[in-house]
Amino acid sequence: MRKLILRQKQAWASLKKKPGFMLTVILTMGITLGALLCAITLNYLLLVEPMPYPEQERLFVAEHRLSGAEKETKGVAFTYPGLVHLYKSKEAFERASMLIYGGDVIISHSSQPLVNTAYVTPEFHQILSSPLALGRMFEDSEAIDTNNPVAMLSYDTWQQEYNGSADILEQKINLSGVSYRVVGVLAKNFVEPELGAIGRKTQVWIPFDYNQTGEGARQSFGNISGALNFMGHLKHGVSSSQAVQLLTPLVNDRWIEGVAEIDFFKGWSIDIRVRSVKEVILGESESIAVMLLAGVLGLVLIACANISNLFMSRTAEKQRQMAIQAAIGATKNHLFKAMFAETGLLMFMSIIVALILSQIGFYIMQQYLGAILPRVNELGLNAITFGAAVLVTVVFAMFFAKLSTRMINYRVLNTTLQSSGKGSGLQVSKKTRKILIASQVALATVLVFANFSLLKDAVKTINAPIGFSTENISTLILNFSSTNFPTQEEAIPIMNEIMEKLEALPQVDSLSQSGSPLDGFNVRALTNLANNERYTPFFKGIDHNYFDMIEQPMLQGDNFTLADRKDGANLMIVNQAFAKQLKADGDVLGMQISTGRPEPLKIVGIVKDIAIPGATPIGSNVASAGVPRAYVPNGLGGQTFMLKTKPGQTVSREQLGALLAEVDARYSVFSFNAASDILTQSLFAEITTATTTAVLASLVFLLAGIGLYGILSYGTQLRRFELGARMAIGATRKHLISLIIGDNTKAVLAGFAGSIVLFALAYIGLSDYIQPLLSWQVLPMIVATLILIILVTLFACYWPLRQYINQPAIYSLRAND
Amino acid sequence: MTEIKIEMKSISKVFETDDVETHALKDVDIVIRAGEYVSIAGPSGCGKSTLLSLLGLLDMASSGTYSIEGLDVSDLSLDEAAAIRNEKIGFVFQSFNLIDEISVFDNVALPLSYKKDLPTDEFIKERVETCLKMVEMSHRADHKPNQLSGGQQQRIAIARALVADPAILLVDEPTGNLDSQSGDTVMAVLAELNKNGTTICMVTHDARYADMANIQLKLLDGQIVKQEDLKVAV
Ligand SMILES: Nc1ncnc2c1ncn2[C@@H]1O[C@H](COP(=O)(O)OP(=O)(O)OP(=O)(O)O)[C@@H](O)[C@H]1O
Ligand SMILES: [Mg+2]
Repeated sequence: MRKLILRQKQAWASLKKKPGFMLTVILTMGITLGALLCAITLNYLLLVEPMPYPEQERLFVAEHRLSGAEKETKGVAFTYPGLVHLYKSKEAFERASMLIYGGDVIISHSSQPLVNTAYVTPEFHQILSSPLALGRMFEDSEAIDTNNPVAMLSYDTWQQEYNGSADILEQKINLSGVSYRVVGVLAKNFVEPELGAIGRKTQVWIPFDYNQTGEGARQSFGNISGALNFMGHLKHGVSSSQAVQLLTPLVNDRWIEGVAEIDFFKGWSIDIRVRSVKEVILGESESIAVMLLAGVLGLVLIACANISNLFMSRTAEKQRQMAIQAAIGATKNHLFKAMFAETGLLMFMSIIVALILSQIGFYIMQQYLGAILPRVNELGLNAITFGAAVLVTVVFAMFFAKLSTRMINYRVLNTTLQSSGKGSGLQVSKKTRKILIASQVALATVLVFANFSLLKDAVKTINAPIGFSTENISTLILNFSSTNFPTQEEAIPIMNEIMEKLEALPQVDSLSQSGSPLDGFNVRALTNLANNERYTPFFKGIDHNYFDMIEQPMLQGDNFTLADRKDGANLMIVNQAFAKQLKADGDVLGMQISTGRPEPLKIVGIVKDIAIPGATPIGSNVASAGVPRAYVPNGLGGQTFMLKTKPGQTVSREQLGALLAEVDARYSVFSFNAASDILTQSLFAEITTATTTAVLASLVFLLAGIGLYGILSYGTQLRRFELGARMAIGATRKHLISLIIGDNTKAVLAGFAGSIVLFALAYIGLSDYIQPLLSWQVLPMIVATLILIILVTLFACYWPLRQYINQPAIYSLRAND
Repeated sequence: MTEIKIEMKSISKVFETDDVETHALKDVDIVIRAGEYVSIAGPSGCGKSTLLSLLGLLDMASSGTYSIEGLDVSDLSLDEAAAIRNEKIGFVFQSFNLIDEISVFDNVALPLSYKKDLPTDEFIKERVETCLKMVEMSHRADHKPNQLSGGQQQRIAIARALVADPAILLVDEPTGNLDSQSGDTVMAVLAELNKNGTTICMVTHDARYADMANIQLKLLDGQIVKQEDLKVAV
């Protein structure tokens, strides 16, 4: 033990003399291992750790897949009557629940917040054994068709909206004119299964009966909605495939019956898919997590190679000291232990940095990746993180110590002492050195180039023109807080008055009674009556001001008029992409398109395409600008508006609330968001990718730089005596600098050649990804990459050399340091 | 009076490390004339290597004046010192200090490549061959240094020291890494060179070899204590 402490003290003393070395190792390993610990913890959480629900081996979700005549998938989502039919059948599932996601405003609350709601049958929380902070969960008294107005709150809602008030169970909350008695509050540690959007947290739970589905849709087998979900425990002994066999005919037969009247669905069918809750929640994030781990492992490997180089240089530097230890009786084992004391100390300090950074990493993932990765709220330093940390510390300390001591040729050590510098016993051959430099350069070049292109792509996506304006435009959606919905006729005069008042606001420049182009598109099944071809474009009802306000240009034909909207005229405007789909030459004005209703729609105009970030045509994953879209005139009773304010002016939610209350107290603000905010939100994935790439890229630049520096400075240190001899026979500094640069140039050029080979290999393997890169546009990137690498190389040639050439020659010739 | 090759006047060298001052040389005066063979002896730590490195401009004195062939070299920049070393000084080290990665021929030719005016290839070839002949190593010109014995390597080192036709050959314990037979050969080469006119200054522990010199300096505690001019004695 005393020996151990002594060794650690000696190691610390010797490291303290090399703060640059120490800092480089700790930062490089700290940063990369921090990323590694994050990735390991995340992967463990997603891939291994069970979810906090009982009997999850029987916990499954049923999905409703709509397929076309050729068995191609048309959509995966339930119809409302199909969902209820499945639920009531009680087949295959021992206990099952329905869940519908929604959103509503708590109008009884002073600040009238918009909250995420979920409408569930009582089995939902029973199946999950949801822990409660207060009260009870839904019971048979809230079963389907009981119409019992009670609610459960999430822990955060209770804390944030009701200040954790103790008498919350005596309170009632009003949403859409229904007053719900609060019967329970979920516990803080309740983990909601993210069946819908990842990262979405339900704030208010309401019995299924009160879901927001309209009367028509409740009966319609022709409407599907992604908000509808079905989850339950399969019966004991029933496998998921058996469940599929059982449920598919049950649901399909009913659906065929339900859509018998609608020609459009001829030949289509339903099948039920049964997937484990874990699989549904993980979705594609499993591969994201694994990719992240792979990427980080790559980083760790680069870092590891770099640090190996540094340790090799350090061993070379310490050869005389070790020779002395060997001469006075240190065995190989002693030298290893001394080295291990040093590497252990360094790795210990690195892992402390890594643990701190991983904690920060968890926080960042929770803040920014909550919408991409599920379960991130469960992330935190845990036994796995610490276990991995300990393992990594020991393994790397051993590895670096072994590597360093393996370089020592024990027999040569003794001669090192006697001959003060006939070369050095620890030399790695010139060839190995050159191969190391060349491979480091090749790797660095590829990495730097790849990161440049990733970065460029991400930035390009963010800056891509969207084809419409969001400037000063906000979307206002009204909330109707009563159960007796007004008819269209009743709503029109109210909306007219609201619009008049809105337009009269001094801040408001113009008004459109339509939703933003960034949301509010449905997918509609349309038939071209000329040839009976079927299409599924994005579909939107708009007013006559819509295109003007968002500055989307009309290319051919005419816009709708107010009269068209009043009359419910059967007109349609299509975009270029849809026009091309309908007819190759895009000349579609006057064409008749059927929505399934008796009266077909006549195409009267063609507008330019818009490019909503991340939008892809139905049935395709390829992002492209050409998403087919169709627009029809909407009615006059719509409750969604776009407000364009005058430059520099704003309207507040409160102001709008007051305005609405003045016209009709049943209306309040559901949501009021700037279009540019919505756009930023829809760019979220791209922004996250760009930031992650930028961070990784700078790490890679840093690591590549350190690696190049390490290997080049190591090479220079090994040539110390040679440099001394050259100085003795009259080499000037210029001679020596050009010698080192000249020698390394060959290796660097070989490295550049190597990187071309790597790219060629990558091209053969991944030509789909690389093909688009092959244009003149990559030239500046190539030049930037080469300049960067060359600058680092020149620096790495000169910097280690300066200590030898900037002092009298004798210091390089003398062996001790 | 023959030409003065080297003249040091009250040269001192102080090393300062961690608050400790070591006076390695104190007020040393040395004059070496053309054709002389000077040996420096003395106990370990007396300052022999230090003196030689000052003579060879590998290091700078703390005080005193120094001139080579009448040129004042007391105060030179690093690059100026390198140029003078290249032109006027030939070094032979105890540890040879040959470069293993290039051939014997290239090792010997190296000092010429650092000349201000690069000589022609023919001149280099001729000069290297002459020097290799002088140390009787012509037959090994294409070998790599590490393929040779210690004594052979030291002779190559001598050829390298001679190639630029220096004013003086500085030799630090040339036999320290050699067995006595190879040592004898190397010393014979040096004696032969001196006989043909090369000025030599050599540090050695070995009294036998010190005797081969015609001037023997003794260094003690950084000071020259006794100067014997054998020729005068004879
Ligand atoms: N770089 C240095 N820093 C500090 N002191 C030094 C340095 N080089 C030499 N010395 C000191 O100067 C003195 C002379 O050293 P030098 O190497 O010249 O001795 P030497 O006569 O060559 O000995 P040896 O016969 O053992 O080679 C010694 O006391 C030594 O400790
Ligand atoms: Mg000495």
